Amino acid sequence: MTDRAVIIRARDVTRRYKLGEEIVWALQGVSLDIFEGEYLSIMGPSGSGKSTFFNMIGALDIPTAGSIEFMGEDLFRLPEDKQAWIRCNQIGYIFQTYNLVMVMTALENVALPMILKGDTRRDANAKAGAILERVGLGHRVDHLPSQLSGGQMQRVAIARALANSPSVILADEPTGNLDSKTGEEIIALLKSLQTDDRVTVITATHDVKMLSVSDRIAWIRDGRLERLEARANVQIDMGSMTH
Amino acid sequence: MEKIGRQVRLPLATAMQISLQGIRIRLGRALVTLSGVVLGIAFLMSVITGEFINAAVKQEREVRNQTTLMSTFVTSEVGAVAGKTLSVAVFGALSAPEQALLAGLAAEHATLRAYGYSGTGVTAVPAGRLGEGSALLLVLGDNPAPGIALGGLMAGMVQPVALDARLRTYPDTPPGRLEHFGIQSAEMLAKAREAERQQGFRTRWIVIISLLVTVIGIANALLMSVTERFKEIGTMKCLGALSGFIRRLFLIESAVIGFVGSFVGLLVGLAFPLLAYGVTFGFPAVFSALDGKRLALSALLCLTAGTALSILAAIYPANFAARMVPASALRSNV
Repeated sequence: MTDRAVIIRARDVTRRYKLGEEIVWALQGVSLDIFEGEYLSIMGPSGSGKSTFFNMIGALDIPTAGSIEFMGEDLFRLPEDKQAWIRCNQIGYIFQTYNLVMVMTALENVALPMILKGDTRRDANAKAGAILERVGLGHRVDHLPSQLSGGQMQRVAIARALANSPSVILADEPTGNLDSKTGEEIIALLKSLQTDDRVTVITATHDVKMLSVSDRIAWIRDGRLERLEARANVQIDMGSMTH
Repeated sequence: MEKIGRQVRLPLATAMQISLQGIRIRLGRALVTLSGVVLGIAFLMSVITGEFINAAVKQEREVRNQTTLMSTFVTSEVGAVAGKTLSVAVFGALSAPEQALLAGLAAEHATLRAYGYSGTGVTAVPAGRLGEGSALLLVLGDNPAPGIALGGLMAGMVQPVALDARLRTYPDTPPGRLEHFGIQSAEMLAKAREAERQQGFRTRWIVIISLLVTVIGIANALLMSVTERFKEIGTMKCLGALSGFIRRLFLIESAVIGFVGSFVGLLVGLAFPLLAYGVTFGFPAVFSALDGKRLALSALLCLTAGTALSILAAIYPANFAARMVPASALRSNV
């Protein structure tokens, strides 16, 4: 396991918020190496700081102290255009609340990252159509998010995350707003991304269904990394065989 | 492992496309912002147009009043002018009311003999023969000291009466009656000038206020539309949008809204005073009074001002949106 490449390296990541007069320590020095191609679940109750940590490794928020290395470079010392490049090309984000652009159709939502990358609309639409087909929404491309069910919206969000073939998928409570059956389908879809596409999948969750598919589980409590668990050796070996 | 690249700076055309798409799908919202611009610019344009028409109509009205006043003097001296012989001495250039007076007299079939002037229905004669058989001498023109004796001009008149449109000085004492007509006193002129000055001051003040209202209205509407879209901005940043791109989207949006709004506004602002003055003074008078070049210039000014002010108003909201940290933009629930 030590011979696997580290894609994200968090060192003493600290995040402090000011809530009026009160200072809230959301993260109090979390260090964690995340390997290329693994399925990592960050578990913890709400308010534990897992979403804050998730935002840090996704370059969505700036830590008060500590550093995050992404592909060997200090994320928060990179200029804005390199950070944006990472968000656009290397990371696919999935949120509990989907965060789709509500005024755009499923196809336009999925095409958006490609347009921002510089693709022409025609190319972007063609690719977006193919990805939506893959996540099982080929018949819903022209629907607005408001016309889709929760599971379908999350599939659109997954398709959008896949748009620029990222090396990392970051999913923040992806099953949080879904019923248990739809949640399982989404988990299976995420797992297939790891096994078939060799994408690193990182989820922040408190859904225990995630445990069975994860390679490792990081438990976060009160802003600290409480423990780091690997699943049974047999399964880890199976995971490594694909690399 | 792949090397970290730099995010491409998207061409203006792409930003334009996304911005226009945004306006199209949020048309209702855009129309609210747009109506703010329309109102502001319509107000500005109507003030300017109204001022133009008012000035033109006022001048027209003054000429008409002056002409009526002068022809009343003439008829009170000689009665109906038809068939009468009138002599006219012109020194210098004729004013608009004087021209209208001569045209009016010719139209009423007076026989006009003139020195220093020629036109249709007017017989030019030398100074020495001007008075022959004439019932009235009219002295017109803007030269205050012609240096010609009235005695010569009035020789041979049926009745030696002269009407002078100006306070002229002559080298001799008039051989008959000399009266002045159509002259405004210095006091009246000063009063009119003062009223005009105050009117101009008030107009400028109204224009400045209306522009301020427009800017604040647009800034407010844009700030609202930025706030509404915090989540969307966060999402765009997650997907790799650069701050500059977000800023550009909002600036383009407001430039487009500003341009379209100003255009509609200036049409409305042109139509309203035209209608209002047209109903009061008659449409032909209003249209003939309008100066196309000046009007086009003010329309251009309104268009430029509206667009520029809209962009100006968008700078703060656009920068605010562009500077947001993605996580805090996503967290907001508006």
